[in-house]
Amino acid sequence: MHTVKKNWAPYAFLSPYMLFYTVFGLFPIVFSFYVSLTSWDGIGDKTFVGLANYKYLFDPDSHFFQSVGNTLLFVAVTLPLQMAIGLLVATLLYSRWVKWKGFFQLVNFMPYIVTPVAVGLLFNLLFDWQAGFVNKVLLQLGLVDEGVYWLGEPLYARIVIAVMLIWKGFGYTMVFYLAGMANVPKDLHEAAYVDGASGLRAFFSITLPLLKPVTVFIVITGIIGGLQLLEEPMLLLGGSGMGSSVAVIGGPDRCCLTTVWNMYDTAYGSTTRYGLGAAIAYGLCLIIAAFSFAGARLYKGDSE
Amino acid sequence: MNAALRKTLATTAISILSLVSLLPFYIMIVMGTYKNEDLFTRIVLLPGNYLLQNLKTVSASRFDLVYMNSLIVSLSSTALSVFVSACAGFAFAKHDFRHKNKLFAFILLTMMIPGQLGIVAYVIEMRYLQLSGTLLPLILPWIANAFGVFWMTQFIRSAVPTEVLESAKMDGCSSVGVFFRIVIPFIYPAITTLSLLVFLWSWNNYLLPLIIVNKPELFTIPLGITSLGDAYRTDLAAQILGLTLGTLPVLVLFAIGSKSFVRGLTAGSVKG
Repeated sequence: MHTVKKNWAPYAFLSPYMLFYTVFGLFPIVFSFYVSLTSWDGIGDKTFVGLANYKYLFDPDSHFFQSVGNTLLFVAVTLPLQMAIGLLVATLLYSRWVKWKGFFQLVNFMPYIVTPVAVGLLFNLLFDWQAGFVNKVLLQLGLVDEGVYWLGEPLYARIVIAVMLIWKGFGYTMVFYLAGMANVPKDLHEAAYVDGASGLRAFFSITLPLLKPVTVFIVITGIIGGLQLLEEPMLLLGGSGMGSSVAVIGGPDRCCLTTVWNMYDTAYGSTTRYGLGAAIAYGLCLIIAAFSFAGARLYKGDSE
Repeated sequence: MNAALRKTLATTAISILSLVSLLPFYIMIVMGTYKNEDLFTRIVLLPGNYLLQNLKTVSASRFDLVYMNSLIVSLSSTALSVFVSACAGFAFAKHDFRHKNKLFAFILLTMMIPGQLGIVAYVIEMRYLQLSGTLLPLILPWIANAFGVFWMTQFIRSAVPTEVLESAKMDGCSSVGVFFRIVIPFIYPAITTLSLLVFLWSWNNYLLPLIIVNKPELFTIPLGITSLGDAYRTDLAAQILGLTLGTLPVLVLFAIGSKSFVRGLTAGSVKG
């Protein structure tokens, strides 16, 4: 429809999006930046403080870089494993040797669609010191003499979170790899087979390189999503409800405090420092932007 | 390796992984069928006989109201988001206008922005507009969905033939008519996939309701689940049943839509 250039139609079709984005997307983002330059508890007067909130992010008391480090650690440990398992499951599902593909696909995707809040609480129950399933099984088998204090030790708590995230996340990578495999031309594999290449060889020299766009997509979205981690550790350790009644922020020694959890706690939890909360959100956004930029550069460098 | 051995190996591997995926769900469902006291004393492996009593405990907490709230929020978010995305996608995919490429690049850029960036000011905005006492604040942010626009633009560009649109125009069909009668029927797969995703995201959303919802009558499922914990601190079994009930709808939805979901992803997103 290049024929009519001055046409009202595209503007009309775009207007709902632009309207809602401006009012409920863009405006809060701009206004939040202003809030991040103030000291404000939401009730009293705003005091303009310039970049003081951003400066405070570098103070260890703000826990900002600690929380960013924790979150990056979780991403760095879990994303590669999620991708490896997801790729393995996708390969199995795509092979000729597995029946009931639809069923297995759904089963392995289920952890990803379950409410993150429920996942956090569920693992809280499974790894509970006293009533947890895991400890009971370990005791029953005689592997330990007394229940392991899973959620009270920094290292164990981190391991539980990593296990939880891998369990929850590999279905996501599986689905995208499956979609990517469906777009790999079948005759390439047949040609390789005729030429005598083994299945493994064909996988590493044909399938995997052709899946590169999918892999890059998963890495970028995985990092962006992973950096926004909140519910699972919060409900696993926060004691919001089940288990302990004492709200522990970030688990033992704040070893599992994620950046968004830190933002929530600063603005709406332990303190009501809206300005600092907004500054944390902007800090996180900068970090995500850096990763996206690096990812995009990597992607471009590859396709050239 | 012969074919039979490969088949056995592959099936065994996928079965083990699937068991790992399913085990926590199984434990969750089974624990919800026991009396609270039994959960502390032994390992429960087979379903118990206390399901109905636990159901009663849960329904006493007005879980049905929580369900309704979540349904209202997720269905409205999905319908509005998909419609607005399809409109914008049609504009980008099949029209020429000034600054089109720049605008599209800007929308792509906003996809990278984390949802929490504007949340502090959004909460203030909602309070100022006096909407904090309603469910609207949980719906409005989903309507302008950058991912949806990207998705729809890609799909409409490849799936809707421009010649058909042009001949319809020749026959005197208006732009709005073209959109509803021709574009929409062509993009059902994209609509299904996007609907499932937006429904899932809004159903599972926790941070925004946690900050903005201030009364139990407006609780959505994620909040309802955590508040079950406060009301029945001692009744673990009822809480677990609440978890099961809260996750059931999305599981059913994806069980029905799973095939077309992956088909939609295959056709749309990952062409590089």
